[in-house]
Amino acid sequence: MMCTQPITNTKEAKWQKVLYERQPFPDNYVDRRFLEELRKNIYARKYQYWAVVFESSVVVQQLCSVCVFVVIWWYMDEGLLAPHWLFGAGLASSLLGYVLFDFIDRGEGRKKSGRTRWADLKSALVFITFTYGFSPVLKTLTESVSTDTIYAMSVFMLLGHLIFFDYGANAAIVSSTLSLNMAIFASVCLASRLPRSLHAFIMVTFAIQIFALWPMLQKKLKACTPRSYVGVTLLFAFSAFGGLLSISAVGAILFALLLISISCLCPFYLIRLQLFKENIHGPWDEAEIKEDLSRFLS
Amino acid sequence: MVLKAFFPTCCASADSGLLVGRWVPEQNSAVVLAVLHFPFMPIHVKELLAQVQQASQVGVAVLGTWCHGWQEPNESLGPFLEGLGAIFPHEPWLQLCRERGGILWSCKVTRLQAPAVPDTPREDQVMLIFYDQRKVLLSQLHPPAVLPDHQAGDATASASGLAAVFDTVARSEVLFRSDCFDEGPVRLSHWQSEGVEASILVELAKWASGPVCLLLAGLLSLISAASTCRVFRMWPLSFLGSKLSTCEQLRCRLGHLTLVFSPQKAESPTQLMRKANTLVSVLLDVALGLALLSWLHGKNRIGQLADALIPVADHVAEELQHLLQWLMGVPAGLKMNRALDQVLGRFFLYHIHLWISYIHLMSPFIEHILWHVGLSACLGLTVALSLLSDIIALLTFHIYCFYVYGARLYCLKIYGLSSLWRLFRGKKWNVLRQRVDSCSYDLDQLFIGTLLFTILLFLLPTTALYYLVFTLLRLLVVAVQGLLHLLVDLINSLPLYSLGLRLCRPYRLAAGVKFCVLEHETGRPLRLLMQINPLPYSCVLHTYRLPSCGCHPKHSWGSLCRKLFFGELIYPWRQRGDKQD
Repeated sequence: MMCTQPITNTKEAKWQKVLYERQPFPDNYVDRRFLEELRKNIYARKYQYWAVVFESSVVVQQLCSVCVFVVIWWYMDEGLLAPHWLFGAGLASSLLGYVLFDFIDRGEGRKKSGRTRWADLKSALVFITFTYGFSPVLKTLTESVSTDTIYAMSVFMLLGHLIFFDYGANAAIVSSTLSLNMAIFASVCLASRLPRSLHAFIMVTFAIQIFALWPMLQKKLKACTPRSYVGVTLLFAFSAFGGLLSISAVGAILFALLLISISCLCPFYLIRLQLFKENIHGPWDEAEIKEDLSRFLS
Repeated sequence: MVLKAFFPTCCASADSGLLVGRWVPEQNSAVVLAVLHFPFMPIHVKELLAQVQQASQVGVAVLGTWCHGWQEPNESLGPFLEGLGAIFPHEPWLQLCRERGGILWSCKVTRLQAPAVPDTPREDQVMLIFYDQRKVLLSQLHPPAVLPDHQAGDATASASGLAAVFDTVARSEVLFRSDCFDEGPVRLSHWQSEGVEASILVELAKWASGPVCLLLAGLLSLISAASTCRVFRMWPLSFLGSKLSTCEQLRCRLGHLTLVFSPQKAESPTQLMRKANTLVSVLLDVALGLALLSWLHGKNRIGQLADALIPVADHVAEELQHLLQWLMGVPAGLKMNRALDQVLGRFFLYHIHLWISYIHLMSPFIEHILWHVGLSACLGLTVALSLLSDIIALLTFHIYCFYVYGARLYCLKIYGLSSLWRLFRGKKWNVLRQRVDSCSYDLDQLFIGTLLFTILLFLLPTTALYYLVFTLLRLLVVAVQGLLHLLVDLINSLPLYSLGLRLCRPYRLAAGVKFCVLEHETGRPLRLLMQINPLPYSCVLHTYRLPSCGCHPKHSWGSLCRKLFFGELIYPWRQRGDKQD
């Protein structure tokens, strides 16, 4: 690369960017070619606005899940919603979701994971049995603990659930296990405040449906049929908004603002900020190994 | 170099004669052991010295002459003394003189061989050190001998030099056997020359000790053979034997008695002292035990004790019931899980009920049991105390049971919580690598784990409170038992004989010596008096402490706290893991 450069002054020795030869220049000498190799923003990505809005729907969905869960719990606590209704609705939607889950990709995912229907049935039985068996214990578990403590704990746990949820980003903080566990902990805490053990049982079952099963279905929907996914997201968001509106108008408006800012304003802001990006690259970068080195590992 | 002459004080007034003793060339000192009086036959003297040398393995020789009462070395005596030097050749030749009744001492040292440099004076500087022969003979210089106090200026005797002096005196006991009443060919003057010290009682005891020791050793070996027979090794008996402190104490005492009455002679003074200490400790123990026995069995004290014992046990049970009822309410305003609280409280209350019925069933027999137990005091106070400790352990068995239940429950919770907390974070304990790894769990595992985690977390305070209260009760009982064991250990391991010796005969246990200046004049030999420094009491205790034979668990405070925190049982059960260590 150095040899291709034209020689400006033939009398002077040509400077070479090597350290292994003795040259008549000081060590920190560079010539005019220094910044020729500077590159800017080579890895910067151009975002499409509507694509970013589409991706942000995962966050919206999760916020709506938490909101729906809290709303349902409030209805149960107030006695406005009979547990049988919730159980029936939950059972029906679970069955529908289960059928959809296999129908969307025509059983390809199931074949790939090798999970049998017997295993699904066993898991479902384990959920139901343990929750039903422990529901009397759950009912009396936090009797002596103050309600405010329980609320604070639940809020922290649900926030933690939102923070650690796997939204598809590749970051160290993401831990779907921790996120799910925190949601279950919060649901157990909230369920222990309900008036009867049947309520507690149905609340915890509902928590599993909305926090564990629903995101799995969402992921598949998003991958296979993006159009229907957008529709489902809108529907879900409106239903959460409606549920919250029936409890508190101010809360509903704040929630709607939050959703709009996340799905519309934040993508817009991201694309605007992209213009100010100034990433420089050059020969001073750290060495980067691009080859696949796994053959050396054996 | 200064020549040191150690001279026994008892010979200071002896008639003239020859100085018999040992020359220590390394220290450049002469240890005079006795004065051999005129007249004598040189052949007899040499025979005697050879006999002593053979018996004591000490190089005893004639060191010089001793003249007492001459104003000046006479003209006739001078050559005579010079001539003696030719008969008993010794290098150097000492000539000690003392005026009769006076305080003027003179000492002359002559070396037969001419010195290498002719100008150096033939006479060396001499230092006379007086020592009490009896004390030095009987005393035992301790191995960690401190350097003697240099009170008298340039008195320089290193510890090893002192040890040589003490050793020489102690080993040449054969020389001191003869007194002035013996019809021997030679007459000696030493500390026993006025008559050999002896006591009829000591002689009788010495004479009787042999057969008695043999008899008792036979009896003891019979007992120990019986105690090692197979029946005692079978499961329940061996287990009981290792847990009851009475059995431990009896075994310990048996070992002590075997040591005391073993027919072998003690090899070293330390071993002798240990035997004596053990014997005195056993004797004192038995004496105290007999006193206790006579106190207990007089005036129907056993009956009173038995009558008092049942109400005390009842009272303890009642207090425990009150405590449990307090715990079942809202103790100290703590928020406990009511359902679990009720379950635990009722369980423990039923246990107390069972215990009280058991005590009442036992009550008619308590007096007889106590009477028979009281008889064991004749084996010694320590046995009685150990028995008391065992009785306390048996009478507080319910507290122990509560503690074990509480600790087991708490331990289960703690371990469950710690492993479920790992599951909560999506981690697991890797046994092979001894570290926490991340792990992907199934959905149902996660769900059940979190459910259990929540339940255990909210139930933990209740269990922890029960555990805390019962642990405190248990620690109280253990502290009382520990005090009893400490007392027993004190009696077992206190070196009473050595302490008594230190109190009554301080010179017997020497830590070193100190020197007092008697006379310091120019032209005269420096005269010093050697006195024995007794060993300090702390040193006596440290050196002669008998090994304690308890089976006390050795816990550091840190490990104890750790065990308490994790709910592991502290005493006396061992965890299963401990056995592998």
